[in-house]
Amino acid sequence: MLWFARGLLRRVVTTRYPRRTDAWAAALPSPPAFDSARLTPELAARLVARCPNGSLAIDGGALVLDLGGCTGCGRCVAEGDGAVRPSGVFELASSERIGLVKRIPIKGARK
Amino acid sequence: MNEEQRLAEELHHRARSLFGRSLHVRTLDTGSCAVCESEIRLLAAPPYDLNRLGFFFTPAPRHADLLLVTGPAVRAMDVAVRKTYEAIPDPKLVVAVGACALGGIWKQDALVHGTVDDVLPVDVYIPGCPPSPLALLHGLLVAVGRLEEKVASLSFDLREVTP
Repeated sequence: MLWFARGLLRRVVTTRYPRRTDAWAAALPSPPAFDSARLTPELAARLVARCPNGSLAIDGGALVLDLGGCTGCGRCVAEGDGAVRPSGVFELASSERIGLVKRIPIKGARK
Repeated sequence: MNEEQRLAEELHHRARSLFGRSLHVRTLDTGSCAVCESEIRLLAAPPYDLNRLGFFFTPAPRHADLLLVTGPAVRAMDVAVRKTYEAIPDPKLVVAVGACALGGIWKQDALVHGTVDDVLPVDVYIPGCPPSPLALLHGLLVAVGRLEEKVASLSFDLREVTP
């Protein structure tokens, strides 16, 4: 590993978190991201029914995604017919639990 | 924000800065399926190597600064959780790891609390089932204040350009 040689040269034993993540990291299981222009109320209802552990819900004209409960199983991606894609985001640490709850507007839904 | 909250926030900030570039981590399994543990163990492997970032695993909570909690907080572990938390010297950090610990999988019932929030004051949440070692590293660095949280700026809406 290069950091070892760097540590010997600079006499610093600790290094920083990588500035860029490796390319393969995008292929890790990750929570879904939604195309709000194609997210109809019918599709949203199907996605909520498909989620195995209740991480998706509908609330006031928005699809509520709880990242804390999402296991990245990919069932909503399979159900979503192109409107749902894996987000590829895995650096999700948050100091607020509520910060992990995301609201995605549903197209044409009444508030 | 009132005066009390401001003082608490300031104390919290100072506690975090105390940890600097080296701290010891104790893991606590409250009924997880051991996949989170498997990923935590991978942190010590050469591709991630948490030692170079100044983190070290310790077998004893009395030597620990940070508690990594996995699992849905089964009630059978209540006493062990309390003893472990009390044994860690102040200042201490609690990091909840995985979807179980964040309350995503198990609902509260006679056997489990369902979320680590019910038994410990959690400082940082790391979602994922399991969180990858990189996600864990990011979470540990967020916990000690060396990296910024990213999740607040993400919308998970493909139409919105994330800042």
